[in-house]
Amino acid sequence: MRFSLRHFVTSCWMLAGMMAGPAVAADPTPEQLAHFESHIRPLLVKRCVGCHGAEKQQGDLRLDRRVFAIGEGDGPIVPGKVDESRLIDVIQYDELDTQMPPAGKLPDDEIRLLTEWVKAGAPWPDDGGAEEVAHGGLPRTADGKIDFAAAAQQHWAYQPVERPEPPAVQHEDQVRNEIDRFVLRKLEANGLNLSSEADPRTLIRRASVDLIGLSPSYEEVEQFRADESPEAYERVVERLLDSPQYGQRWARHWLDVARYADTKGYVFTENRFYPYSYTYRDYVVEALNSDKPYDRFLIEQIAADQLDLPENDPALAALGFLTVGPRFLNRTPDIIDDRIDVISRGVMGMTVACARCHDHKYDPIPTADYYALYGVFNSCFEPEEGPIVGEIKETPEYLAFKAELDKRQAAVDAYVAKAHGELLADARNRAGDYLLAVLKKTGKLGDAKVEYSGEKEPRDRLTRLWIDFVARRMRENDPVFVPWKLLVESPDEEFADRVARCIDPERSGELGGPANPQILAALAGTPPASKMDVARVYGRVLAEIDQQWQALRKETPDATQLSEPAAEQIRGVLYGSGSVSDVPVGDAERRLFERDHRNQVRNLRKKVADWKVTSPGAPPRAMVLLDKEKPVQPVIFERGNPGRRGDRVPRRFPQILGAVAGEFKEGSGRLELARAVASPENPLTARVIVNRVWMHHFGNPLVATPSDFGTRADPPTHPELLDWLAWTFMHQDNWSLKALHRRIMLSATYRQASGDRPEARTVDPENQLLWRMNRRRLEFEAMRDGLLAAAGRLDPAAGGRPVDLGKKPDFNRRTIYALIDRNNFPGLLRTFDLPSPDSSAPQRPRTTVPQQALFGMNAPFVQEIAGEIAGQVKANAPSPEGQVDAAFRQVLGRDPDGEERALAVAYLQKSPERLTDFVQALLLTNEFMFVD
Amino acid sequence: MLSRREFLNRSGFGLGALGLTGLMADAGLNPQTAQGAVSPMAAKPPHFPGKAKHVIHIFCNGGPSHVDTFDPKPMLEKYAGKELPTGNLKTERKTGAALPSPFKFRKYGESGIEISELFENVGKYCADDLCVVRSMHADVPNHEPSLMLMNCGDGRLVRPSMGSWVTYGLGTENQNLPGFIAMCPKGLPVTETANWRSAFLPGVYQGTYIDTQHTNIEKLIENIRNKQLPLDRQRDQIDLLQSLNRRHLSERPHDSALESRIHSFELAYRMQIEAADAFDINNEPKHIREMYGEGVHARQLLIARRLVERGVRFVQLWHGAGQPWDNHDDLERNHRRLAGQQDQPLSALLRDLKQRGMLDETLVLWGGEFGRTPVVELPTPGANQGKVNGRDHNHHGFSVWMAGGGAKGGQVYGATDEFGFKAVENRVHVHDLHATMLKMLGFDHEKLTYRFAGRDFRLTDVHGRIIDDLIA
Repeated sequence: MRFSLRHFVTSCWMLAGMMAGPAVAADPTPEQLAHFESHIRPLLVKRCVGCHGAEKQQGDLRLDRRVFAIGEGDGPIVPGKVDESRLIDVIQYDELDTQMPPAGKLPDDEIRLLTEWVKAGAPWPDDGGAEEVAHGGLPRTADGKIDFAAAAQQHWAYQPVERPEPPAVQHEDQVRNEIDRFVLRKLEANGLNLSSEADPRTLIRRASVDLIGLSPSYEEVEQFRADESPEAYERVVERLLDSPQYGQRWARHWLDVARYADTKGYVFTENRFYPYSYTYRDYVVEALNSDKPYDRFLIEQIAADQLDLPENDPALAALGFLTVGPRFLNRTPDIIDDRIDVISRGVMGMTVACARCHDHKYDPIPTADYYALYGVFNSCFEPEEGPIVGEIKETPEYLAFKAELDKRQAAVDAYVAKAHGELLADARNRAGDYLLAVLKKTGKLGDAKVEYSGEKEPRDRLTRLWIDFVARRMRENDPVFVPWKLLVESPDEEFADRVARCIDPERSGELGGPANPQILAALAGTPPASKMDVARVYGRVLAEIDQQWQALRKETPDATQLSEPAAEQIRGVLYGSGSVSDVPVGDAERRLFERDHRNQVRNLRKKVADWKVTSPGAPPRAMVLLDKEKPVQPVIFERGNPGRRGDRVPRRFPQILGAVAGEFKEGSGRLELARAVASPENPLTARVIVNRVWMHHFGNPLVATPSDFGTRADPPTHPELLDWLAWTFMHQDNWSLKALHRRIMLSATYRQASGDRPEARTVDPENQLLWRMNRRRLEFEAMRDGLLAAAGRLDPAAGGRPVDLGKKPDFNRRTIYALIDRNNFPGLLRTFDLPSPDSSAPQRPRTTVPQQALFGMNAPFVQEIAGEIAGQVKANAPSPEGQVDAAFRQVLGRDPDGEERALAVAYLQKSPERLTDFVQALLLTNEFMFVD
Repeated sequence: MLSRREFLNRSGFGLGALGLTGLMADAGLNPQTAQGAVSPMAAKPPHFPGKAKHVIHIFCNGGPSHVDTFDPKPMLEKYAGKELPTGNLKTERKTGAALPSPFKFRKYGESGIEISELFENVGKYCADDLCVVRSMHADVPNHEPSLMLMNCGDGRLVRPSMGSWVTYGLGTENQNLPGFIAMCPKGLPVTETANWRSAFLPGVYQGTYIDTQHTNIEKLIENIRNKQLPLDRQRDQIDLLQSLNRRHLSERPHDSALESRIHSFELAYRMQIEAADAFDINNEPKHIREMYGEGVHARQLLIARRLVERGVRFVQLWHGAGQPWDNHDDLERNHRRLAGQQDQPLSALLRDLKQRGMLDETLVLWGGEFGRTPVVELPTPGANQGKVNGRDHNHHGFSVWMAGGGAKGGQVYGATDEFGFKAVENRVHVHDLHATMLKMLGFDHEKLTYRFAGRDFRLTDVHGRIIDDLIA
């Protein structure tokens, strides 16, 4: 149905406010009402209300109450006006219109009943329901709009972040910092307290895996165990925070949010790879390692181009946050939707994308807010090639890259030039056919079938060229086309006379202007009997003149024109400025090429793109987004359909956050948007990030839905703690993520043991109160990095192009540097719960399936690692006992106990080649895979 | 493991459904452990008892022509070479005059369903099991969005595939095999693995792709074989691993995640054996292999039966890489070749399922992403070979058929116009097909949902109408 919910809602509210609106012409009589209740309402209920009632509102339409069905005259039923009632339209079951009900056309008597009832003024008593119009229980102002101030009051996440006072607790001895007070307070309320501190081995592994994604070596563990100073643990945390491996670990967490991938998604024949996506990934690693304040980190990712950075500043790569998303076959509305989503959901925990087609069903986010942001991104563009990041170094690799690139680009240019020449030659050489095609296409020949002289049909684009050219020449009264105009525009009955006018020199005044004598002579030579003949005559003349011209050029290569003026005039149809072949090579693709040539160019271009993707010497570039010169004024797309344009809206920040920012004034508004997102006044941004960081330290977040802080989300398990973390993060630690890690990791809550406590488990089986640390499984990346590290072959090098693990499974660098192909996301990665990079991922699922075990048991990569470790172990320890000890140290960072040693030695004694099997078993243990 | 809370939060199931997760074909698996974690692949009951327990989807990618297969249009003869009096609807490319089918149609079975000679065997042996829908329609005449619509219920946005939804809803009955398997010989169809993606559903519900050009099990399933260890030695290794793991567990009681990972190695060990067996058709008796015939399609259809027999939930079979049925040129020759590869094994599959009593609970769906025009496609340089003997895409009207698994066989439902251009009678949109299939599987399509990004998503989005007439 055609009206929008928004209008509908507003009008219903107005109706409710005005009591009797204009639609209610006269009070219905009791008879009319009885008729309605006994015939019409049952019919509506039977046929319509199933899909258009209180339960369901297909198409945002309800036919169960008067306020919805009639409203203020803009509902689907317009009393007294059958023609204007959409309801009556659709039940006609017209071929070309919506057909309702979908199950089949109503019986004729029912259609008649409804039609007559509408004609009679659609008497329908006021049956209430206006209060239901306000969906989702959002507070509304008198005019029916969302009351944003009141809505903000109602929901915790929209309220400003304030600093709660850390509470006093009974277990003062367990408190290491303020975090513990908030946690203990809730534990104590449930008769619980924190577990005691984890043992040093557990603690150092936990801290190490958390911060750098790698387990400590045996030596590091032993050193830590031996260090009895009270600051030993703090020193470990500091060391880990300073490690360049920290950024490689935590960047991966952010890349889940940023739906990072190295390919575009399905893009048909285009090259699917982003040649420079890795510059964004490297930016994130670097930003985290340098502890770039989180607000600045966000501002750069949204608007680095507007920060007056130097031309090749590496921070420009931050904009990849917006541009590495999927490309949806290059459909702009979907690309923008992805960008709105990654910012709103990924950074602010707002599900703004829900408001693309209709107002958000639950949260105070109207469609207008979605399109306000849409306008921001629609006012931006991506340059064909982003700026180079850093200085180009003229290395041999770069020079080789450049040489080949130039070669491939030259192939594109050469092809375009060649095709351009050939097509224009075709337009000239077959002028007669093209003139016939002009007549056919412009409807001068009616249904007549045209026989062309050439083997091939005239090409569409070249015909178009001729049509435009001929039209222009006729407009300009070009003497060559004066007879043409006269003849081809002739009514049939006048044609013979007009031919006579052309032939008879006496009648030259009747041609409508001076005419080219050679054309007239040709017409006289072969008087045309039809319009087709006219085209043929012209074709012959043009061919002759072309021949003369070619002959002249052969004799006198620098000739510029034919000597005879009339001939030169005709030559001007084919050659030179303003002629039909006056199409610059730069316009060839747009104006001359059809599918065949376009395919060829695309293939050649793909080779250029392929080279940029695959050449190791291609200099890195930032995938920037820039503002268009003129910002675009957004309009609402009704039901998300760009073809149905609704009200204009300003570019502005979501209204529920109106206290942070309003309308955007500068350019696209992207910088203002960035500043509003990262503002300390923004109630969401800091809460969302501290919740994410908390989740990665504890396994579970404080707010269960890390990318949805809306009204349907569960409230935080520890609201004061969340706010305290967010407040100190912004106001005390200047948005430093490393300071946040430090606070969390130095708390007793983080340092507690993960062991079971039956009495606590009974009270809180899911450990929501944090009476212990959660045991956590390594993600795929940490597992794979750990395997490489155990074999001593992990290459800690940072940055650069991604490598496809499918092709090179033994790639020695950290897994964050593996290729993420969103088109064909490898089954292995999905098996290990890597999130789909098609949209921002709030958190990874944690599944356990046999395919994961198969990887550990059978993947050649794992066997290779096990073999290498076995070789190292063997080289250092001759005895089975010594080998077992060495393998335990190398894989698990500890010595085996007596029983384990005996078990392993017995296993090895069956045959010596079992050392590799044994090492592999250690690599597969839960101990390796889980962190206590 | 999804935690119980996570699972309940996201899924449309109530507690009642979860209480029954013990319904496991695999006796060794206890899907629910002490702390209430539930295996994401454990078999679970649907909303209400459904007839279909498994789905085999035969996907003729590229778009088979309905007027040459399951929707006879004698009127095209009358207008052969002439323009249709009703004009041509807009499709992807330029089209011209009426092109009658070069194939003969005949009535088959007691139901008398008319089927062309291309699917003679299907007609001869199976007509009375077919539920032919002749009034399908989709949204656009392009492959990519239509593939996405048919597979994932949305032409543009990233949504989980039907197989993922069904596996999410029902789990699978054999933990030693993947629950959702997509087979395509010699490469991938257009839009590639997106056709069986799980999108925002957990990755375990994604289809496992198998390139059936291979016969070697190691090439069929990643990491299914250990190339160094013989099975007995690997068993010893797993035993050692499990004793280490049990010692570890004894100090960490009540941790379902540790327990289920221990268990997953046992499953994996068995999967190696069972999967190899499932994919090896040499284990079939000769007469069965002969019934299916020769070639890769015979093999993959027979494998499909073996998989379903072993409890795999959803099997999708693609005709081949790219879009083999996309016959813009030489339609007669190509359709004859393609159907020739399919007809015998397809009828064998239906008969084989039936003789084993499996057809009742296996829903077979045959079709493409759309149909083809009843009029000839005109030459366009670069787009076709200009032979003027093929058909363009047609989303306005096309045919699919279902058999078994709760579909009402022996009937033709709906109709296209007299030329086969547009569905006009009892129109069935792709969303309606999905809603109806889900009902056959025991789901209310509006309640099989998953919460993501603040919304409860479902296969049919905000659409879908159940066509009760299609349901037995």
